[in-house]
Amino acid sequence: MVKNPVLPQIEFRSVTKTYGKITAVRDLSLTVGCGEFLTILGPSGSGKTTTLMLLAGFEAPTAGDILIAGRSVAAVPSYRRDQGIVFQSYALFPHLTVTRNLEFPLEMRGINAAERTTRVRRMLERVHLGDFGGRMPSQLSGGQQQRVALARALIADPPFLLLDEPLGALDRNLREQMQIEMKSLHKEFGTTTVCVTHDQEEALTLSDRIVVMRAGQIEQTDSPEALYDRPATCFVAKFLGEANILENCNFELETDAAQPSGTVAMIRPERICIVAPDAANRGDADRRQSITGTVDDMIYAGPLRKYHVRVGSSVFIVREHVAAGQPIFRPGDGVCLDWLRSDIRFVAA
Amino acid sequence: MKIFQKLGQMPIGLTVPAFAILLIVFGMPIILLFLSSINAPAFSVTNYYKFFSQPANVRVLFQTIEVSVLATGMCLIVGYPTAYLIVTASKRVRLTLIALVIIPYLTSGLARTYAWIVILGDRGVINNLLLHLGVIHSPLPLIYNRTAVYIGMVHIMLPLMILPLVSAMMGIDRSLMAAARSMGARPLAAFWRVFFPLSLPGVRSGSLLVFVFCLGFYITPAALGGLRDAMLSTFIAAQVTSSFEISKIATSAFILLAIAVAVLSMLGLNLAGAQGRAATSAPRSWVVRLPIFAMRKHYFSEFPNRYRAKLWTTQLYQAGGNSRLSNIVGAVFVLIVMVYLLSPGLIVVIMSFSAGTFLEFPPSGVSLQWYRSFFGDPSWNGAAWTSIQIGIAVAILSTVVGTLAAYGLNRTHPRLRGFLTMTILTPVTIPVIVVGIATYLGLVNLGLIGSKTGIVLAQSLGAIGIVVVIVSATLANLDRTLEQAAKSMRAGPLQTFLRVTLPLIRPGVIGGAVFAFLHSFDEVVITSLVSGYSIRTLPLKMWENIRNQIDPTIAAVASLLMLVPVLWLIVLYLMWWRARPRDHHTLSELAT
Ligand SMILES: Nc1ncnc2c1ncn2[C@@H]1O[C@H](COP(=O)(O)OP(=O)(O)O)[C@@H](O)[C@H]1O
Ligand SMILES: [Mg+2]
Repeated sequence: MVKNPVLPQIEFRSVTKTYGKITAVRDLSLTVGCGEFLTILGPSGSGKTTTLMLLAGFEAPTAGDILIAGRSVAAVPSYRRDQGIVFQSYALFPHLTVTRNLEFPLEMRGINAAERTTRVRRMLERVHLGDFGGRMPSQLSGGQQQRVALARALIADPPFLLLDEPLGALDRNLREQMQIEMKSLHKEFGTTTVCVTHDQEEALTLSDRIVVMRAGQIEQTDSPEALYDRPATCFVAKFLGEANILENCNFELETDAAQPSGTVAMIRPERICIVAPDAANRGDADRRQSITGTVDDMIYAGPLRKYHVRVGSSVFIVREHVAAGQPIFRPGDGVCLDWLRSDIRFVAA
Repeated sequence: MKIFQKLGQMPIGLTVPAFAILLIVFGMPIILLFLSSINAPAFSVTNYYKFFSQPANVRVLFQTIEVSVLATGMCLIVGYPTAYLIVTASKRVRLTLIALVIIPYLTSGLARTYAWIVILGDRGVINNLLLHLGVIHSPLPLIYNRTAVYIGMVHIMLPLMILPLVSAMMGIDRSLMAAARSMGARPLAAFWRVFFPLSLPGVRSGSLLVFVFCLGFYITPAALGGLRDAMLSTFIAAQVTSSFEISKIATSAFILLAIAVAVLSMLGLNLAGAQGRAATSAPRSWVVRLPIFAMRKHYFSEFPNRYRAKLWTTQLYQAGGNSRLSNIVGAVFVLIVMVYLLSPGLIVVIMSFSAGTFLEFPPSGVSLQWYRSFFGDPSWNGAAWTSIQIGIAVAILSTVVGTLAAYGLNRTHPRLRGFLTMTILTPVTIPVIVVGIATYLGLVNLGLIGSKTGIVLAQSLGAIGIVVVIVSATLANLDRTLEQAAKSMRAGPLQTFLRVTLPLIRPGVIGGAVFAFLHSFDEVVITSLVSGYSIRTLPLKMWENIRNQIDPTIAAVASLLMLVPVLWLIVLYLMWWRARPRDHHTLSELAT
């Protein structure tokens, strides 16, 4: 299929949406580039779905404006916008077969029957559901339904695609498989995609950029790597992966740079090494810091070992890949934790 | 400007046809009625004073309340244990019993009243049998007294009590009883402390339904009672035909309405308020008031689930212990209730095949003579044809108007929705005689008394309410994202409605149409007031026959009337059952 040559750009300008006294989205400004895969990530109730519904035209902003390709779409009803949506519940029409479901968006665009049949067949092949055209949605498994929903959203080649928790209803294995599939579909169609999820793994795997939302506001927007490696706030650091916040510690934190005011120091669990007390400090002592503590708890997690280490009154989380020859510590063991000073991050409290 | 645009798009506009009919045929006349009862513009309570100063009126008023309260009480005493036993029975038995309660509910009240005349009359089944056996030498006075009124009324209203009770009881979370038991509550304690309080909403809606129905439906007391057993509604109806003195009629009607409203607000609103969700629960509690509908969901959802934890739930429900004796007592009780509910209809059907020159039970020979007489006599088959025509017109009008209104209401703000739904349902929630009087006045003003158009409009008032309830409940179960999905694929509002919404709510729409038709086909009270003696529907012709000379043909008519709803029930059942998309799944699972 041919990529759409001029993909529109989506722009939110200070959009606010209130439901009575509840402010679901507050002063949100955001630009989605052409062909980009953008994920909106946030805990439940943070306003993700509302943002998506605003973009889809099912809700009108209370204040602010939404522009697509530079034109305000406030007055454009959803059925005149060119978009594909995958709903959280898939919203497959239960009274129509898979084929009729896929034909629906084509019919609405006035495409003739012959062309529809070809495109549906091709699309079903593409999502590995060639033999399922005659089934009713209720006769499909969750993963198959998900693929039909995705196919239906993409079949009319819309310039942008909206996904609301697209993989939320699938089990873990299926989810990974679908992530790969979605990524390849995105590459193939090049559709500008806005995806909403509360699943950090999904966000990190799929996205070009991630918007982290909290209580109706954007907390940080960045690439997955940057977001994980340099979180701007404590909330982002904790929401995306695990974080040790170094506050009220019983030792002096050694840092390369001075700590800006209003921030706290943070280090990721996998950046900390755990060693026996006598094996501490490996040469470059001037670039590292070591402290001692006691193992509280140890959890096996397949290829990982997760330790809870008590240092004074605070507990550190340490994550270590299991490797040959590595000592295993038991609860009660005294250990030494050490890390590179450059791995310390300052995040807004 | 923007507000104007918004208003134009508001789906509330779809309720306009329904409210227009309601207002013109019922709303304005009832206000006029009220004004004339207080002698507007003089505004005095003279009419009410006059009413209460006549001892005869006061006696009838008290009698009305007494009969209604006692009938409701008897229904509850018989209905609660019946409902409980139905709910605790095994699934197969439960479904059968529910069907056996629904059948009489759908059957013409007039036909069932007639059945009691046939059974209790001086030459009726019981007297004939006793005479034949030589137990008595002259007929016992079984009919035309208060006892006969109660027997008939409880018989007619019992399904109205049982169905909401069963619905409420089936909604009780099964694990709660287990929890109570696990905390050491003995079976009886678990019943009184957990099950009974949770079943109270069903008690409430069943009692309301029966009580208000008793207030307005004068047919049964008039047919089975003596002259001294007149109800206020009988009085009102008689006044319309004898001397149309509007202020007097209005006064009686509003006194009746006041009793109904007092009871409604006492039982209805207080309890809803106590549950702390008055605004949202109001429409739902009205839904319960049309019990057949409330039942549907449970009834039909049982099929896909029938294999799920059958024994477990049944045992947990056995709150009253499980001894063999109590099981036998329960079974006998249910059996008696079912015989009471069903045998009158059955007897009439059997008698309708009598070969002799009058009806006998048991018939000495089988013949179709009464059916021939029904189909051959133009006054009977003409009436049937009129009823069918009117019924179809009512079904079409109220289905279209009611579906639009339900759709519009579904898209309106919940608080407004509750209020508007209650307003649309007024004609089915207040005593029917009051609706009849108001409608009579409304049609007089429109010059439509004695016309088919007038009857269709009058019957549509209630039918629209029924359609709104059924379609609303179907819409409430509709996943709104399906419509959003259609819109995201460039389907406009009309296309979305026709291609997605309508196919998905079709079972509700068809169900609404069927019930609208049945409502029209059975209606006597309002129709008799507005027909102006120039139009005979089948129920009118029957009613006239019951009161004057009893032509045995009526047995054939009554049998047919009992058959029609059973056929409808089968049609609906097949449709609803097949309409559930999940069942494709279940069926294919069962097949493999
Ligand atoms: N239609 C609505 N009416 C009232 N409040 C709503 C509505 N939709 C969402 N909200 C509120 O707005 C907030 C954000 O909701 P939502 O966008 O659904 O969050 P998320 O999808 O991130 O879980 C929540 O507090 C929710 O209760
Ligand atoms: Mg959401």
